[in-house]
Amino acid sequence: MKRPVRLELGQKLVLTANRLLDGRTVWWREDGTWDLRIGQAVLLDADVAETALSRAVEEAQREGVVGVYDTAVLPVVPPEPVTVREKIRAHGPTVHPEFAVETAQ
Amino acid sequence: MSVPVGHYQYDRIDRDFLRARIAEFEGQVKRRLDGTLSEDEFKPLRLMNGLYLQLHAYMLRVAIPYGILDSRQLRKLGEIAQRYDRDYGHFTTRQNIQFNWIRLEDTPDILRELAEVDMHAIQTSGNCIRNVTSDEYAGAAADELVDPRVHAEVLRQWSTLHPEFTFLPRKFKIAISGSPNDRVAARFHDIGILARPGEDGAPVFRIFVGGGLGRTPVIGEELFDGVREEHLLATLEAILRVYNAHGRRDNIYKARIKILVQAIGVEAYREAVEAELGQMELDRYRLTPEAVAAIRARFAVPLLEAPDDADAVLTQQRRDDPLFERWVRSNTHVHRDPGHIIATISLKPAGGIPGDATSAQIGRLADLADAYSFGEIRITHLQNVVLGHVRKDRLRDLWLGLSEVGLAEANIGLIGDIVACPGLDYCALANARSIPIAQKLGARFADTALQAEIGALRINISGCINACGHHHAGNIGLLGVDKRGEEFFQLTVGGRAENGAALGTILGAALPEDETVDAIARLVDCYLGLRESGETFLETLTRLGHEPFREAAYEAV
Ligand code: HEM
Ligand code: SF4
Repeated sequence: MKRPVRLELGQKLVLTANRLLDGRTVWWREDGTWDLRIGQAVLLDADVAETALSRAVEEAQREGVVGVYDTAVLPVVPPEPVTVREKIRAHGPTVHPEFAVETAQ
Repeated sequence: MSVPVGHYQYDRIDRDFLRARIAEFEGQVKRRLDGTLSEDEFKPLRLMNGLYLQLHAYMLRVAIPYGILDSRQLRKLGEIAQRYDRDYGHFTTRQNIQFNWIRLEDTPDILRELAEVDMHAIQTSGNCIRNVTSDEYAGAAADELVDPRVHAEVLRQWSTLHPEFTFLPRKFKIAISGSPNDRVAARFHDIGILARPGEDGAPVFRIFVGGGLGRTPVIGEELFDGVREEHLLATLEAILRVYNAHGRRDNIYKARIKILVQAIGVEAYREAVEAELGQMELDRYRLTPEAVAAIRARFAVPLLEAPDDADAVLTQQRRDDPLFERWVRSNTHVHRDPGHIIATISLKPAGGIPGDATSAQIGRLADLADAYSFGEIRITHLQNVVLGHVRKDRLRDLWLGLSEVGLAEANIGLIGDIVACPGLDYCALANARSIPIAQKLGARFADTALQAEIGALRINISGCINACGHHHAGNIGLLGVDKRGEEFFQLTVGGRAENGAALGTILGAALPEDETVDAIARLVDCYLGLRESGETFLETLTRLGHEPFREAAYEAV
């Protein structure tokens, strides 16, 4: 589900999707591949995000992902999503700390 | 193999069909993986097989027809949780089970394993007639008039793969009960059916239509009363046809039958159904006594034998052990046989996740069902588990066995018995997390003596307007809303799903997540301070209205 992304000052965009094989949340890297760790995501400014997004959507089947979209993050290390929803996608369900996702670079 | 007690015995036709269906889905998965099918093409196909894509993984929803399982099936669910998931499953308010960490590749294998025990995931999603739900005390409760499972099975057979109703305007949910005490939330379903014996002894049916929750909560209206058994299927077929023809397909939010019934009025709907019945070949849909008897014969009936002193033994044990007494008070229901009792096992441990059970617990439940209740298990629409036929003199042993695996919580119908949807921890549609609030509330009211003191009070939590946690039907309802990416909760009070169904009404502005639990605690304190002796929360609320509760909840905000 695509939500309109409004960038506030200092925020960046990352691309995210789910892996076709197992549904796991993945993040788009500079080289066009996808990674489980948000720490590997390339940070995009709004002006280039659109092109990146169309490229990622186009290559989704080949790269084995579904449901590509962009979302706002704070450009810290590792990047921290702005919304609770994307935080949970990045880190795993809050109710199962044992399933926490490795996010580091 | 002996016939299992409680559910219908499938035969070769059912099994051959399941096998073919899995092979078909396996082909679809292959074509999806190699790119022949796009996600847009594949999505409706996987949904027809119960497979959703959530935030972190695929989720598989497995059907439990009218909520009844045998121990062999339950054990298989535990094995699947262990082998293909992360060692747990989630029981839902529609008496199904969901696995949250499924891999697309594994799905055909999982479906094959399920089929080994006559289970599947068909019609657990999509715009079709979904799993028919029923009374968790079916065939056991003393207050039952008609055993609803036989007709639930009739409906299952009628609705499964019904070619006319595979692409309805929207999903369609049916519940059926045979007790004067509505335990199925009949009036919150697209069709709710209440069965009772007619004058000649054969059952007759009262049929409600157009109930539902979601973004437009509506209490179903009576369409017919006294529908005779032979006309049950024709009547349902006609109701569905009118909906299929006139329900809106242009707007997903206006597509449920409730919107159509609201738009044209229940009288016009009734006339349309009668007109349809008038031109149908009624003989084709006639449900004959022979057909019903044939279905009834494929349910094995438990042989209810208990020693004469079973009741006396239980009475003595209750007197001797106050903890056991508390559990019996909240977690049992009167059985039709004086030597037996119905036990409800709470899946709501204080601070735990409502409806979740580990594979170890699932396996243990299967063992306990074998030992104490003819190997039969029921899943309730309030996310708990029922053993329907426990001998009274053995109830305490069951309770001790449950204690060993953390399943002896004494809170059924009490404030700790919280219904919650998966919410934002899993669900792609969510605005807010439901489970953490449920856990905090559960921990806050962990003391079961306090829960007993508070008395009947149901809390329901949904993570978004879709209302999977039935928040409108909760005595206290919580709805998660998203305010600029932050979680807030809107409080409703006064909802109920049983007889006298009512929708909760909004108490005030939505509260930030971290203030919600305190606000509810103040609301409960307010009730304890104001109630007259013997009054339930709902009764006090009815007597005094919202105002004192609103003040208490928003006091510190
Ligand atoms: C991935 C998980 C889920 C998704 C995507 C989902 C989706 C939805 C949607 C879109 C609706 C609104 C339907 C409408 O108003 O037309 C709904 C309603 C409902 N769902 Fe879910 N749901 C999920 C999980 C669950 C769970 C876990 C339960 C049980 C605990 C559940 C039970 C219900 C019920 C009882 C309703 C409201 C009754 C009604 O249809 O009016 N759902 N769901
Ligand atoms: S109510 Fe909303 S958040 Fe909860 S399971 Fe349903 S769709 Fe998801």
